[in-house]
Amino acid sequence: MSMYQNIFKNIITVLISVIIVTIVLFALQASPFEIYATLFDGAFGNLDKLSRTMLITSIMALTGLALVITFSAGLWNIGIEGQVLFGAIGATFIARSFLGNLFIAPIIAIIFGGISGGFLGLLSSILKTKFNVHEIFGGLGLDFLASGLIVYLVIGPWKREGIASTGGTDLFPEASWVPNIGNYNFPIFPILIMLTIFILLYFLLNRTSLGLKLIATGLNSNATEKFKINSSEYIAYAFIIAGVVGGIAGSIQATSIYHKLVPNISGGYGFLGILIALIAGKNLSSILLISFVFASIMVGGVQLQLRLGMDSSFPYIIESVFVLAWLITRASNIDYKIANYIFLRR
Amino acid sequence: MGHFEATIITIITMSSPLIFAVIGETISERVGIVNLSMEGTLMITALIGFAVTVTTNSPYIGIIASGLLGGGIALFIVLINFRFHINQIAIGFILTILLWKLSSYLGQSYVRIPGPYLDIITIPYLSKIPFFGPIIFDNNILTISSIFLIPISWYFLFKTQLGITLRSVGENPESADARGINVRKTRLLYATLGGILIGIGGAAFSLHVKYGWSESHTVNYGWIALAIVIFGGWNPIRGSIGVYGFGTLQILALKLQSVTIGFSQILPLIPFPLMILTLVLIQIANKNNGIGLPKLIRILILGNQPQSLGITYKKNV
Repeated sequence: MSMYQNIFKNIITVLISVIIVTIVLFALQASPFEIYATLFDGAFGNLDKLSRTMLITSIMALTGLALVITFSAGLWNIGIEGQVLFGAIGATFIARSFLGNLFIAPIIAIIFGGISGGFLGLLSSILKTKFNVHEIFGGLGLDFLASGLIVYLVIGPWKREGIASTGGTDLFPEASWVPNIGNYNFPIFPILIMLTIFILLYFLLNRTSLGLKLIATGLNSNATEKFKINSSEYIAYAFIIAGVVGGIAGSIQATSIYHKLVPNISGGYGFLGILIALIAGKNLSSILLISFVFASIMVGGVQLQLRLGMDSSFPYIIESVFVLAWLITRASNIDYKIANYIFLRR
Repeated sequence: MGHFEATIITIITMSSPLIFAVIGETISERVGIVNLSMEGTLMITALIGFAVTVTTNSPYIGIIASGLLGGGIALFIVLINFRFHINQIAIGFILTILLWKLSSYLGQSYVRIPGPYLDIITIPYLSKIPFFGPIIFDNNILTISSIFLIPISWYFLFKTQLGITLRSVGENPESADARGINVRKTRLLYATLGGILIGIGGAAFSLHVKYGWSESHTVNYGWIALAIVIFGGWNPIRGSIGVYGFGTLQILALKLQSVTIGFSQILPLIPFPLMILTLVLIQIANKNNGIGLPKLIRILILGNQPQSLGITYKKNV
């Protein structure tokens, strides 16, 4: 299949999925076209909204990119949510320490957040390779461990002066906030981080022997073992890299959005990243595109509540139905057949 | 009725939804299907059970509706897996998010409204038995059946021919197929049965333990049940011990609430470290078949996950 046919096939899959989402919205007695228009306006209506959309895009893309690495190694990294949370914890640790007042504090916080996330990824891989704990159960366990740790920190050692509530810690010193550009708070640094990591991971997967071995492990770990490739080692690399990238997403949440640690600081973007990665598969560049679309739906979704008085669950319903429809369309080969039919007839 | 007895009754009553959910998932995983949608399934079936109960004014119709919906969701996962070979984990994960969010949208008009309760069924004479009588024979249908479900499902899984067939499909579908067992039919049947039980578990929340509906009514219980299935080593009795243990912790947390703030917030997270620990212990113990370990510990931690759990079965033609 040529490249054009492939693009055409993707467009058909998108169209079919959007039609299914539209039908579901009709079935829920919502008016789809009003929703789409509101979402569009809510995500791109002015520069403030666009900035917000780009900020969320960068965070969702990071979790999605992290998951492509583990998907490539054949792993279900459901622990991504915990890795994001650990990243936020790591960043908070730096921001609250004496380093938090330095002018390079955001950089240290993000790096340390990445390390913290990578640590949790390492734990997932140890559970998987040393103790044969399936990464789904190990990952879920670590997710809840991480959220337990945050609740503990927020109401315990890091509680606000005098008050122990789940509302969050004190605000970070302003030196550790990731600065935005212009009156519209354009999130230039999160976007740069996203692009840098995209390029690094692209290089890693396509141009290094580590990437090749990682993909080989994902395709058939029994076969790679016969080529003297220690698959446990590459599973560990995949989890650590994913953890670092997820951790960076979490530290951006902490230093750029909340400026403090709150219990649900991940915003569920780890789990949404899994939805994104289910569509993108092992394709890094698709992650950027899908993250942008999904972030627009999330940010635009705020307007659904404000303007149309709709439930806050709609962005999630739209996204999950879309992913389900996408996977089924892909697996049923309908898109392939339609693309072929149209191309062959011409 | 003594204080101790009352506490036991509370624990057993409170635990009934998780008993249904854990045993349902255990049966499903034993036949090789991971129903990862449990968090979402519990949420939507809790809503439907309550909504149907309020509409029809009969909790029993509500329970049936929840069971049917739970079974339908499981059937959907299995059929998609069979027809399109899409990974069970992927479908389950998407459904978790979808059903959870759907429940909060569809449930808006049911938030904190009153409705009819389940009747207490008192079986004459038997309810007079000291201690066990009031627990087993003087309770509502959901609690009573949750207690009976434990031995029945254990006996079915481990002591009947049908149970052996079920487990063989989960362990090694290829050899089961070679023995003339219809793998897909078996998986379809028991995964759906498991889904029905999970659905009834959802109804047990909204019609009994946590009466009514509010947004994210059963939040985290699906994941907790998933953890307890593993903690229970895919065995209904061990799983139920896990559920009652968790119930005991919940009661403790209620009593300690005034002493330690925050324990009740950390509590829902406790099953997860325990689950990881169990999995690690199972692995260590299985390495040398538990030789050298005391018998009691062997019974408690031996037993590995069904070998073809979550793996799509493709019949060689």
